[in-house]
Amino acid sequence: MITRRHFGSVAAGAIAAAQAGDAFAQAPRKGGDAILAIAQAPPSLDAHITSAQASRNVTLHMYETLFARDENATPVPELAEGVNISADGRTYTFPIRKNVKFHNGKELDAKDVAASIDRYRKVGASPALVSAIDKIDASGASELTIRLKQPQSTFLDNISSPRAPIAIYPASEAAKEAGKIEYIGTGPYKFVEYKPDSHVKITRYDGYAFNPKGKQERDGFAGKKEAFIDTVTFRFMPEMGARVSAMEAGEIHHNETVDGPTAKRLASDKRFTIYKVLPFAVQAIKFNQAKAPGSDVNFRLAVQAALDMEEIMGISYADIYQLDASWLYPGHAFYSKAGAEKYNKADLKLGKELLAKSGYKGEKLTFITDAFRPNVDVATVFQQRLKDIGVNVEVAVNDWPTVSKVGFTPTGWDFWTHGIGIEPYEGPGSVMAIWVNGLSQGGAKDPKIDDLAQKFAAEPDEAKRRALFAEFQQYMYDAAVCMKAGNFGQFQVATAKLKNFTPYRIPRMWGAWLEA
Amino acid sequence: MGRYLARRLAGAAIVLFLVSLMTFAMIWLVPGDPASAFLDASATPEQVARLRTALGLDKSLPLQMLDWYGRVLRGDLGQSILLNRSVAAALMERLPVTLSLAGFALVFAVFFGVAAGTVAAVNHNRWPDQVVMTAALFGLSTPDFWLGLVLVLVFAVELGWLPSGGFVALMDNPLGWLRSITLPALTLGLVQVGFIARMARASMLEALSQDFVRTARAKGLSRFTVVVRHSLPNALIPILTVIGIVAGALLGGAVIIEQVFSVPGVGRLIIGAIAARDFPVMQGGLLFLAVLYLFVNLVVDILYAVVDPRVRLV
Repeated sequence: MITRRHFGSVAAGAIAAAQAGDAFAQAPRKGGDAILAIAQAPPSLDAHITSAQASRNVTLHMYETLFARDENATPVPELAEGVNISADGRTYTFPIRKNVKFHNGKELDAKDVAASIDRYRKVGASPALVSAIDKIDASGASELTIRLKQPQSTFLDNISSPRAPIAIYPASEAAKEAGKIEYIGTGPYKFVEYKPDSHVKITRYDGYAFNPKGKQERDGFAGKKEAFIDTVTFRFMPEMGARVSAMEAGEIHHNETVDGPTAKRLASDKRFTIYKVLPFAVQAIKFNQAKAPGSDVNFRLAVQAALDMEEIMGISYADIYQLDASWLYPGHAFYSKAGAEKYNKADLKLGKELLAKSGYKGEKLTFITDAFRPNVDVATVFQQRLKDIGVNVEVAVNDWPTVSKVGFTPTGWDFWTHGIGIEPYEGPGSVMAIWVNGLSQGGAKDPKIDDLAQKFAAEPDEAKRRALFAEFQQYMYDAAVCMKAGNFGQFQVATAKLKNFTPYRIPRMWGAWLEA
Repeated sequence: MGRYLARRLAGAAIVLFLVSLMTFAMIWLVPGDPASAFLDASATPEQVARLRTALGLDKSLPLQMLDWYGRVLRGDLGQSILLNRSVAAALMERLPVTLSLAGFALVFAVFFGVAAGTVAAVNHNRWPDQVVMTAALFGLSTPDFWLGLVLVLVFAVELGWLPSGGFVALMDNPLGWLRSITLPALTLGLVQVGFIARMARASMLEALSQDFVRTARAKGLSRFTVVVRHSLPNALIPILTVIGIVAGALLGGAVIIEQVFSVPGVGRLIIGAIAARDFPVMQGGLLFLAVLYLFVNLVVDILYAVVDPRVRLV
């Protein structure tokens, strides 16, 4: 970086030297042990069986998938060379890349891929991703054929999802039960050790072969995954205070998440770089539609009209939020503004009018939330706002297993708030799936949503699918199925020694290096 | 001594049974189950049912209880849902960590607590007494997690002398172990120093007022000999019982401190299991802590009876 001071005080030759020096400083350097603090321990390093963020943080460094997501979350070939889809949309033929070696030295072939996807069908944590598959065949040493029960336009989206990644294991591992595998993949890092409640260590895999047809740079979860760092240690540190202290003491290089005030404080310290990861998730406020008054559309519309989303997001996620009506993140190909006219109305008068049309009689309603501070803030602001239109809300705070158990049943709650991060990243099919079969409405099925999701999955034409998603989003607002408060982000902190790092949905340790 | 021991053992067995009963009941009163915590929301009902069957959650509560007691009596604490290993193995893996943490803290607390209490008693109502008692009160009323963060700020962040968290096994690197264990153990121990100091002071004051002390002084023995050789051993008897309580408090405190300092001990294992509703680990872990606590108290009771024969007659 050339600063004004350089221009004022140094001759032109010196500037050139400074530039050269800077370029030299930016040259990748191999070596070092990057220590990353993550808030939770991975429940498993068997990528198939868990959709936990903590597992993804580690496993996406070790394993690869047939297709992966690029920087804009579009599926692109990773271990496949490409794909041929039959005219009826039911047969997918994948040429498999040659000269790719697993961490145990075995060369990848179509049988490994077939066995891995087959295993996912049995033990995968997100079974919906592979539910359309009828048959999988290794039709040649380097060719895989998948036959679907019915055409599914989101099939490539599904198999490239990083949610509970359909990691490709050697066929010998894929034959093993859930959680019993050796951690062997084809990714740029290989497994070293997992000390429960302490850390996971991975080391650079020098036999890694990146996709020559992919982007020759870091590209989402795809592209060239060039590892410079020797070893990466993920330390499990649940306490934010402990993570920040460790960062300040110089013991860790990257901190998965800190709160706004801490980020502001550390921003003035030259030893650190603050990364704003925005959007990271959508803040949703769900209605229980299985019982009154959530089953009453006028009640839901009244609540939707009354809420001031700027107030909710500003208090809950100060300095790191976006007001946005869309259920997808900005930049996604299917991003739509449909329904935006009903978003963030903050209209108490309209709220009262709609409430009067509803069957609500002043009974006490329960707003459930886990103890994550911003979620509690959302619930509290919501409670105060609804008081102004005459809705009586009590807030019940519990731990996540309790809240999620209650929230997926038809009783014990009226409102529920939490973040939804991976689905808007994955795309429209995943976002719609949250509401299919009444999954997130207390079990009250919504025929309109179920129909739209079905049509969407069967529709091969992209323009028509785009229109279907816009129709879905419009309906989310017209029927106030669930309220989106806004997008929120995450402050990550890294030591200034971590060079060429760009945050994404996991802290990618490829493309980045550690300064000596 | 035999009858005394039998009485204590029978008492311990009853407490253990009650603890296990309460643990079992408490766990089943908590909503949320491992199937929902472990599987994705998109899991099919069949998958959830399969997991519930595998975990034995589909059986009736009395049956599950009988199952559990049957296995515990055979020394089998079951299989962890999340960790892919037996509960006993997981506990044994973490036990040395927690024991080294609590043990270090206990030695620290006893040594400094007894020393501070003795200094206070010998200087009764003079400034060293007041300083020690004020410090003890401060220590007693300080929450250990807060103290932990302050120590980290001073010794890890500002001075850079010790690591802020993490754990190095003794066998891997003894110096690394000492460095990693010092801050969490000091945090745990400091609060107890205050407690022991107050007890030691009171007990020492009583010992110092005894006739034999007066006699020893009259014989012309040095002050040091009177205090350390004659008064202290007598004052230590009541302190011994306190050590039992302190050891229990340290084991309980370790649960929180392990979380603050990211130390992979039994406490962290149990907290993680609660968050994930890993029932076998929750049940096995809590029972294990209860056994440990009872064992420590039993040892203290026996020592007490050895040191003071009058106790056996009670």
